[in-house]
Parts: sequence; C-alpha cells; structure tokens
Amino acid sequence: MSSMRFAISMLSVVGLASIIGTVLQQNQPYESYIINFGQFWFELFEMLSLYNVYQATWFLLILFFLVASTSLCVSRNTPQVIKDIRRFQENIREESLKRNKYVSEISIKNFKKSDLVSLLKDMQFKVREKKINGEDDLIVAKKGDFQKLGYIFTHMAIIIISVGGLMDGNLVFKFKEAVGIKKIEMVDKPISEIAKKSWLETSNFSYRANMLLVEGESQDVGVIPVKDGYLIQDLPFSVALKDFKIEHYASGQPKSFESDLIVKNKKNGKVLNKKISVNKPLTVDGVTIYQSDFQDGGSKLNLNLIDLYSAEKPLAMKAAVFKHNILIVDEQKLNFEFEDFRLFNILDIGLEESKKPTNVGPNFRHKIRDVTGQAREYETYQHPMVIDGRYFFMSGMRNTPQEDYRYLRIPADAERSLEGFMVFKNLIRDRKKVTKATVEIARNSSEIKEVSRNLANNFQAIFDNFVSGGYNNIALNIDENVPDEKQEQVAGTYLKIIHLIADRLIVDFQNNNSTSTLFNFDDVSVFTQDALNGYSDSFFYGSNFWIELKDFEHIQASGLQLTKSPGQFWVYLGSIMLVLGIFCMIYIQEARLWIVRKKGSKKVTLAFASNREHLEFEKFVLDTKAKIKKFYLN
Amino acid sequence: MKKEMYDYGFALLLTLVGLYALTNFYSYMDQYEVAILVGSVAGFSYMGIQWNRFKYFFIASFTLAFLSIFLYQGDLGQSESNFFLKYILSSQSAIMWMTALFPLALLIYWFYLFVKQEFYGSLATFMVWAASIFATAGLLIRWFESYLVDLDVGHIPVSNLYEVFVLFCLIASLIYLFYEEKLQTKKLGPFVLIVINAAVGFLLWYTLAKNADVIQPLVPALQSYWMKIHVPANFIGYGAFAVAAMVSVAYLLTGNGFWNRYLPPKEILDEMTYRLIAIGFIFFTIATILGAVWAAEAWGGYWSWDPKETWALIVWLNYAAWLHLRLIKGLRGNILAWWSIGGLLITTFCFLGVNLFLSGLHSYGEL
Repeated sequence: MSSMRFAISMLSVVGLASIIGTVLQQNQPYESYIINFGQFWFELFEMLSLYNVYQATWFLLILFFLVASTSLCVSRNTPQVIKDIRRFQENIREESLKRNKYVSEISIKNFKKSDLVSLLKDMQFKVREKKINGEDDLIVAKKGDFQKLGYIFTHMAIIIISVGGLMDGNLVFKFKEAVGIKKIEMVDKPISEIAKKSWLETSNFSYRANMLLVEGESQDVGVIPVKDGYLIQDLPFSVALKDFKIEHYASGQPKSFESDLIVKNKKNGKVLNKKISVNKPLTVDGVTIYQSDFQDGGSKLNLNLIDLYSAEKPLAMKAAVFKHNILIVDEQKLNFEFEDFRLFNILDIGLEESKKPTNVGPNFRHKIRDVTGQAREYETYQHPMVIDGRYFFMSGMRNTPQEDYRYLRIPADAERSLEGFMVFKNLIRDRKKVTKATVEIARNSSEIKEVSRNLANNFQAIFDNFVSGGYNNIALNIDENVPDEKQEQVAGTYLKIIHLIADRLIVDFQNNNSTSTLFNFDDVSVFTQDALNGYSDSFFYGSNFWIELKDFEHIQASGLQLTKSPGQFWVYLGSIMLVLGIFCMIYIQEARLWIVRKKGSKKVTLAFASNREHLEFEKFVLDTKAKIKKFYLN
Repeated sequence: MKKEMYDYGFALLLTLVGLYALTNFYSYMDQYEVAILVGSVAGFSYMGIQWNRFKYFFIASFTLAFLSIFLYQGDLGQSESNFFLKYILSSQSAIMWMTALFPLALLIYWFYLFVKQEFYGSLATFMVWAASIFATAGLLIRWFESYLVDLDVGHIPVSNLYEVFVLFCLIASLIYLFYEEKLQTKKLGPFVLIVINAAVGFLLWYTLAKNADVIQPLVPALQSYWMKIHVPANFIGYGAFAVAAMVSVAYLLTGNGFWNRYLPPKEILDEMTYRLIAIGFIFFTIATILGAVWAAEAWGGYWSWDPKETWALIVWLNYAAWLHLRLIKGLRGNILAWWSIGGLLITTFCFLGVNLFLSGLHSYGEL
C-alpha cells in the first residue's frame, strides 16, 4: 500500500471520483433531481450519495486510503531518509567507485588534502575525511540534504492538510446521526418548533451556517443545509442588521454589498458594531461572519389592479413580498403570491450595436394561482423602457419556471404614464363611441346612405371582433369566411379599418378633452398601433389585470454566512509545508562526491552520485570537476 | 563587470518605476498592494538579472505602455482620434498586434525546422519576443484604460476570459523563450507555438463574436488584492503545463526516423518536460493555496468543492501522479509523454471547460 504504483493509483482514483461532483450539480433541492433524472435514477444516485458526493462515506473512504497510503509511505521511508542525511557513505568499496557512472581522474601536481577540503567546503559541501587501506586518502562530500527533507515535508503536508480538512468536515455529525443523537429536519417550520435533535449546540467546534437577516431584525441561530433538509446551529451571539446597502457603478452593475451589523454576545452581553462586506468578513468569538448574498426582506408594495377588459376604476391592493392576497374575480378565487422585488435591474437594452447595460428601475414578481393550484408567474417593471425609440411598460408571463418570460408591451402615453392606455382600452370598449366613429368613417367613404350604413355595420362588426379577442380573433374569422387567395388582401383591409377606428376614437377624445396632454405625440397613430398590439397581446397574458406598481417601501435582507473552522490553521500550515517541500524536492540538487588519492599518486579519482541523476546533475558534475581542476592549475 | 552594471541599472530602474507608482498612486492602494508592488519590483529585478533578454523585454513593454499613457492624456476618447493609439498603442490594438505576430512566428518556426537556416530561427524567436512585448504592453495599457473608464472601475486586467487569455499567451511564450535560450534549441518553437496559437484563435473568436474586449467593472467578490497574485500564479502553472505538453508531443515524434532528423534528442525533451512540469507544479500549488486563502475570505470557506476548486485539485493530482510516475524505473518515456499531453486536456478543462460547461461560485468568465 505504500508503493509508488499504489500512490499513483490513489491520486488517479481521487481525481476521477472528484469529477462526479462537478458534473452533477451538488446540493440542489431533491425535487429538481427527480425532475431531471426520473424516479429510478434519482433513487440510485441518492443511494450512492451523488448529490453530496464529497461528504459521501465512500468518497471519504477513498480519501482515507490516500492519506493512509501517504502515512505508511512517510513512516516507512522517514527513518531511512534521516539516516541518509546523517550518513556519509565512507565505507564505499573501491570496486563500486570504479563502476560509478561519473567516475573520472584528475591529475594534480602538489596534492594537499586540507586545500581540497576547504575548496569543497567553499562549494557548500559537507566534508568528511578518512584513510583507507591504511595509507590512501578518501574524502567523502555531500550537499543538498534538504532535497530529501522535501520528501518528508510534502508528504507530511498532505497528511496535515487532510487532517485539517477532516476537522472541518462533518464526520462528528455523521456519527451522531448514525447513532440517532441528531436528526436532519426535513420540513420548513418556525425555529421554535424545531426539535432539539435537529439543533447543534454552540459547542459544535466546526460549522458553516447561513443566516438570512431582514433589516431591523435580529437572529441568534444559523441554518445548515444538509442533504435535502437542514439543521439549526445555535450561535454564541445574536446578530442584528441595522442596514444593508448596495452600491452601484455608474453603469448600474453592483459594486459592493455592505451589512451594518450589531453583534451581541449571549453570555456577557458585549456589543460590537461593525460593517462587513464581500472580502471583508468579521470574526467574533471564533466565528467568522461573511457577507454572502442578499435578497428581498419583504418589501411593501402599493399596487393598482387595472382590469384590461372593463372600464371600472382600478382596484388598489396593498401587498408585500412573501405574502399573498386573495381576490375573487368572476366568482373565481385567485391567489396573488408576491415573491420578489428588485430595486435595480440591469438589462442590456438599446439598439443591436449599441447595447449596453442600463438600470431600468424596480420590478416585482408574483404568481397568480387559481383554485386548482395552477399558477402563472409574472414579472412586472414599474417604469416604461425604451424600445425602438418608444416607451413601453413591460410585464412578462410564463406558465412554468423552465420557460422564458414572454412580455406584454403596453405603450406609455405622452406623459410616460399608463393613463393613456387606460383611456384607450375604455374607448375601444365603449360601444356608443365606437358606433359614432364607424358611422363617421363610413360616411366619409361613401355619400350613398345605404352603402355607408352597410359599411358602418361591417366596420362595427370587424372592430367588435377585434375587441373581443384581438388580432387572433380576426385571423380566425378570416380563415373561416374568406377564400384562401383573398385572405391576405382582406386582412390588410381589416387592420387598416381597425386602426382607422381607433385613431378616430383618440382624435374624438382629444377634441372633447382639449386640456388633456396624454396624446400629445408627433404622430398619434404610432401610439394607436402600439396600443392595439398591446391590447391584442393581452389575450395571451393569462390575466385580466395589469398590475401597476404605484409605490413601495424597500425592505432588504442580507445573506450572511457564519463559519467556525478550526481546521483552517492546520490546512494553512500544511500548505506552507507543501510549498516548501516541493521547492526543496525540485530545486535543491542532492549530490555525493568521493575523492580517492592513492598514496604518492599524481592523480585523484572522483566519483559522483545523486538520487536524481538527470541532465541537470550531469551539468553539476562537470561544473564541480572544472572547479577542482581550475583550483589545482593555479 | 559590465553585465553587473546592467543588472544594477535594471534593478535601479525598476525601483524608480516602483517608487513613481508608489508616490503617485499610494492613495489607491492598501498595505497588501504596496507589498505586492515591492515584491514585483524585487521579483522582476531578479528575473532580469537571471535572464538578460528579460531586461530588454521588460523595458520595451513598459516604454510602449508609458508612451500610450502619454498619448492618452487622460482621455479615453483619444483611442479613436489619435493615429498611434488607434492602430498600435491602445490596448486592443496592441493585443491585435500580438494576435498577428504569433501565427507569423508559428509559420516561420516550421519553415525553420525543415530548412534549418539559423536566420529563420532567429526571426521566429524575434517574432515571439515582439508578440510578448505587445501582449505585456497591451495588458499594462488596458490596466490604465480601465481607470480612464472610471476611477472606481479601474483594476488589474486579469478579471475575465479575454484578459487571462492574453496573459496565458504571454506567460506561455515567456516560459518557452526562457528554455529556448537555456537549452540552445529553437526546434521546439514549432510545437509550443501551436498551443499558443490555439489560445490566440480562441481569443480572436471571443473578441469578435462576443465583444469580450469591453472593460467591465469588477463584481464585489473580485475586489481584492488576492486577484493580483492568485491569477498570475495560476497562469504560470497553466502556461508551463501547456508548453510541457507540446514538448511531449515532440518527444513522441522522436521515435520516428523522419522526425529524428529535425528534433532534439529524447533526453533533452524529457528533461525539459520535467522542468516545465516541475515549475508549473510549484506555481499551480501556490496558486491553488492562495485561491483557498482568498476563498476563505470571500466565500466563507477555504474549500467548498466548487467546480473550479475541484478541477484545480484534479489538475494538481494529475501532475502529482506524473511526478511520482517519473520515479518508477521502466515506466518513463512514452507513458510520461502521453500523460503530460493528457494533462493539457485536464488543464484546459479546468481553465476553460469549467467556465463553459459548469456553473459555480467561480464563474467570472462565462461565454
């Protein structure tokens, strides 16, 4: 188990096993796994703990084998390494020197041992001298012992890092869960109702818990997500959020998230006031508090529900994020569930070439759920956005979270308000006014009474058709009643008639309300067309109501993370050792040198050895020999 | 004696530049950034002393960058109106020059390999140096430009895929140039330049198709001095691994009689692969550790098994295995070469694939 081959296998196996958790997104809600894989695979994967693979017993077991193999390797080799560092190989036999790969002879005139020894010492060698065969000189020199220490350093480092990691892992909890002392809570419920078995005490020595803190509120526990449930972590202090602030760049992208916290120790009541932000955490009582994310904290919304298909006054609704309002419409109970509010929204808008991120202002998200439990999702912006140079109010709808939003675009009037469209939809649904308009238009087209009355009736029918179902209705009508080859021509005429009537209605409105500036456009017919399109699209919006956001009170919540990580010290220590060790192993040249001089000889024999005899070492041997030669030449 | 004079001169010059930066921009720096500046001056001085040509490279790059800064006169609009900025010295133009010079160098290296005339070898080397100078100048200028966009937008250009691809090309070519000089052979240029040009190809596509060269402000998590050391350290690792893989390709080809006539001996290639992987391994280890320390500060834990972290671990395990493999007698040679080529695939996935296919905390360069 301590062999090199085993080590390589272990390194490869850990690598391969690690891939799983990067391919399969970890720690997602279990429902989404069921949707993605189906029941059979879901259960199989769950059995293999693939949804939190890095905490899985089998994965930990592989890691354990890696560490065990490393430990065995270290404990087996360390005594030898230390012995090697201490030992000068003085008892080498002459035959083995002769067989040395780098053996060579240098002729010298006046050999003086002490000179050679001090030369070698200058060259950073450790030197030992000895007489062999009773009369010959042997000098044993060596350098680069740290290269060998590098081996111990790196391998010890892996063990220390693993132990540190293990301290911060969840082994203790796993054990407690297995013997039934602790239990993962699966159901969302108020903290006070959560059983003690699902609580972790403040004495828990390592954790990573989350806390969602609403502005102005205080909390003294964190939540640890585990598998498809969670645990409650008791904290040694309470945390209150005074203020949460987001700063933005000029372009609107977020620049900083900042939480102004009050941390109060539970035991001694000591209070700490401190701002934290991303990359600038705060450590209190051994627990580090991080800014991790943010969301809405239950913003209050004042809404106007505008019925698109009636002239009734808009309905005021007071709503709040995470709350729901019930409304009875046509004897149907509708549940309006408000889910999110965002003050800033950065969208890429503008023309194709000059698209740039722009803040388009607040929006909110809600669902409308009917009695059968079916729900549509909506995303509505408060302010109109510029599209093709015109202003539109936007609201997106989708039937399932997997879809993209499809947007209903309602044109803003000349005052950039919704008022113009409200007038418009009331006008087109006002039978009396429509009749008046059609009669006038018909009269202009033909002076023959009979003809113009017929025309007026036709116009009215077409317009009614549109009002009750938009262009879709018109298309269905044409499909049924007009021969194929004429359909296009007829459709063009119908659209013109509808536009003409709508335009006339607005002109009449302006004549009757001369003070109104709602339709002070250069070309009001562009607005008319946009309004007709918007009205027609509203039949696919899935709701009778356009919800206007009148005003709001923004309440934010800061997402904090609370970490206690005693293993960190050991991981960092191991990391330092690892870097030092690798450096020693790679960049320190380990070398041994033997020099033998037979008594009275004019030559010395040199032999070299190293535990890594590669090209660099050959260069080292040549350099050393050259230096010795040069020394004796002088 | 003369060389030493140049060495001291270079170190002095760098110190002066460092002091200039310190006196002018001290108010924008925290204590760590001051330390990084001092460390950089020391580090680059050391490199210049150890490697003579690095001095000229360094001075040339900085001269171009300073020239550009001078031409800008504090107005980003100059990049459109000033001729030199528009075609040579705005960061985008400088980087475009880099992307033009690398393919040229590749062609000349291959020509040299078969024609064997020293002139072409030197020409190709010169091209790589010129491309590296443009890359460095381009990055330095981009750094400056980001402050012209807005003072609070300004940041070191290692924050998105566009910027780190330039960094990758630069570091890989510097590593190659170093060993080209040290081992006295230009015959590996044709191979190493392939991987650099692959990066250039991606960079061009990314620039043209995605408008990736626009300077974007930093998200809060990236606003840290750690970025200045974590990212470059990582790319020394990536660059070294990439060059090592290309040397391994040459190694595998040397088994063939045809290629033997053109390529350096196997022992040199083996030695070079080892040294590249060794230096890559050290820097990659340091970078991963620094990443962990940074993660502990920004994300609340030194290790979260985030896809990027996990793949960094896989890369590390792979090269740790390679280094162990090299110690088994009888297993060296082709297996090692194949392993190192496989290592490039893993490295590429860690560097690019994770951003393309996987999601996680570390999603700073998405497509």
